[in-house]
Parts: sequence; structure tokens; C-alpha cells
Amino acid sequence: MAATFASRCSRVGRSLFGGLSNSSPGLFTKSHEMTCGNYFSQQQRTFIQMRTVLKVVDNSGAKQVMCIQALKGKKGARLGDTIVASVKEAHPNGKVKKGKVVYAVVVRAAMQKGRCDGSQVRFDDNAVVLVDKQGQPIGTRVFGPVPHELRKKKHVKILTLAGHIA
Amino acid sequence: MRLEKCWFCSSTVYPGHGIQFVRNDAKIFRFCRSKCHKNFKMKRNPRKVKWTKAYRRVHGKDMTQDSTFEFERKRNRPERYDRNLADNVLKAIPKIDKIRVSREERHHKNRMKENEAKGQREAKKELEQSISLVKAPSALQQDPSLTLPKTIVKVSQQKSEENPLMEE
Repeated sequence: MAATFASRCSRVGRSLFGGLSNSSPGLFTKSHEMTCGNYFSQQQRTFIQMRTVLKVVDNSGAKQVMCIQALKGKKGARLGDTIVASVKEAHPNGKVKKGKVVYAVVVRAAMQKGRCDGSQVRFDDNAVVLVDKQGQPIGTRVFGPVPHELRKKKHVKILTLAGHIA
Repeated sequence: MRLEKCWFCSSTVYPGHGIQFVRNDAKIFRFCRSKCHKNFKMKRNPRKVKWTKAYRRVHGKDMTQDSTFEFERKRNRPERYDRNLADNVLKAIPKIDKIRVSREERHHKNRMKENEAKGQREAKKELEQSISLVKAPSALQQDPSLTLPKTIVKVSQQKSEENPLMEE
């Protein structure tokens, strides 16, 4: 138990460093690793912070969204947190248009989150579901798996719309 | 609480250990430690990685079908708690483990059976060919008892004749 705590501390320390450094050197290292040819595809996954581009997995009309602010959390948002985001790419006829500032709930995060039984969960990508100020989802469908951390955060509506609950 | 199996090495993942990776098609991969997780990220096939259980099963190193494996099948229907049943199960678990281990040992012994005869054949050949490295050929001709008989004798006799020569 102490060992996992120590490893988690070091992980947080590393992610802190990754979070502090701006996005551009981070991007450079990522592309450098990819050109190295899968030699060490160990990307240090960090929080969702300002300028993080996320995928939208509901049918609200937006496709990609850039985080403006992570509400709650000094370093950034994690799985299950709400963020303020700006719509960067949208479907032509949808409820939200490009450039709109929306609230969103993170439903999939590439950074691992600890569960109460001690295990860690990690998803493949960063994805959000757009919500309104009250926390109700704007869209009517949610695609892909969602974690059941949302239940604790009182996003029950998203859970009911979800196809799979991880 | 559930004891899962690591997707890569097939060892048990106890609570508080390991990472669960959820792919976008909702398939969940559980790993017991970062070694397995990193190998998965490198896209290695566990059937080709020598130290995993998957490799050993595919290549016949460990037994694949046994009735003791039926007890460890995943069951999704929860059982109503019954004190007697729980007691019996707790008593049965070490017995089943013992039987499974003994069967695995038997499988291993069967696999290694040919090695003994093979080792003896190789030893005999080495004695015939390389005895000159140990004793000069002229010495062997003077004292015929030091050579092996050319005729093929029964295994038990051969062993006793080989042993004093090998000790030299």
C-alpha cells in the first residue's frame, strides 16, 4: 500500500511537471517519440487544462472542443470533472455552433484515476459530454464507454444515456 | 471484491493492484503490473512472449484442459449467502489447489520424460568419442577394463559401468 502511494506521488510529481510546462514542448516530445518508432511509447498522461482539445461524444452538434478553464482543481481537470470549453469544430446543423462557450463533463480521460478499491482506470482518449449550467446534458445520446465515477458526481442523466458503463 | 486475471500474463490481480484500461469499444483490459501494461502498449502479443501463461498454454508447456479449471470459471450470478456453503467452499479450495498442482507436476514430468534417456545416450557417445581427452589411448589399450564394451548392453548394466569411468 505504501509502495503504491509512493508510486502515485511520483506520478503526480511528474504530471505536475508536465502540466507546468506549456503545451508546445509537450507536443514536440510526443511527435519525437512517435518518430522514434514506438521505441518507448510511454506518454506521461496529465490533467485536462487550458488549451486541451477534447472529443465530444454526444449528439449536441459539436465535434471538438478546447478547454478554457477547469473548474475545481489547481492543476487541471480529471475524469468526471466539469470544464468550461470553447467549441472549435461543429456539425453544420447542430444545437451548438463553433465559437460558443459551453460547460462540459469529462467522461473519458487518458490519465489514470484511482478508484475506491485501489485500482486505477484509464481510457484511450479525452472525451467530454456538453452540459448546461445546471449539469443536464445538451445532447440526447452518448457514444462510447463512460466511467461510473459520474454517479458520485451526480451526472446520473449521462449514465442513463450511455451505452456502456466501464 | 473480485480477483481478476491479468490480460497479458494471466496472473491474478488482487484488489489495490494494477491498472484497468478501457478501450473505446468498451473492452476492458486488466493488468497486474506495469510490466504487463507496458508490454501491451508496445503491442506485443502475449502468445509470443515467453513468460506469459498464454504462451505456455499455446506451446504445450502447461496443461490446458483440466476439470480443476472448471472451479475457477467466471460466474456472473451472485450466490445467496449460505454459511454452510461458504464453509464447504473454503475447505474445498486448498484441496482443489493440491490436486491441480499435482496434475501440473505430472504434466511437467511427462514433458521431461525423454530428457533422461537422451542424456544417457549423449553421455555414452561422449565417453566413446572423447575419452582420449581424459586418458591416453595407449593406456586404454594396455588396460582393457577401462574401455566400454562395444556391445550394447542392458540399461542397468550400462549405468554401473559408466559411473566409475565418469568419476575419473
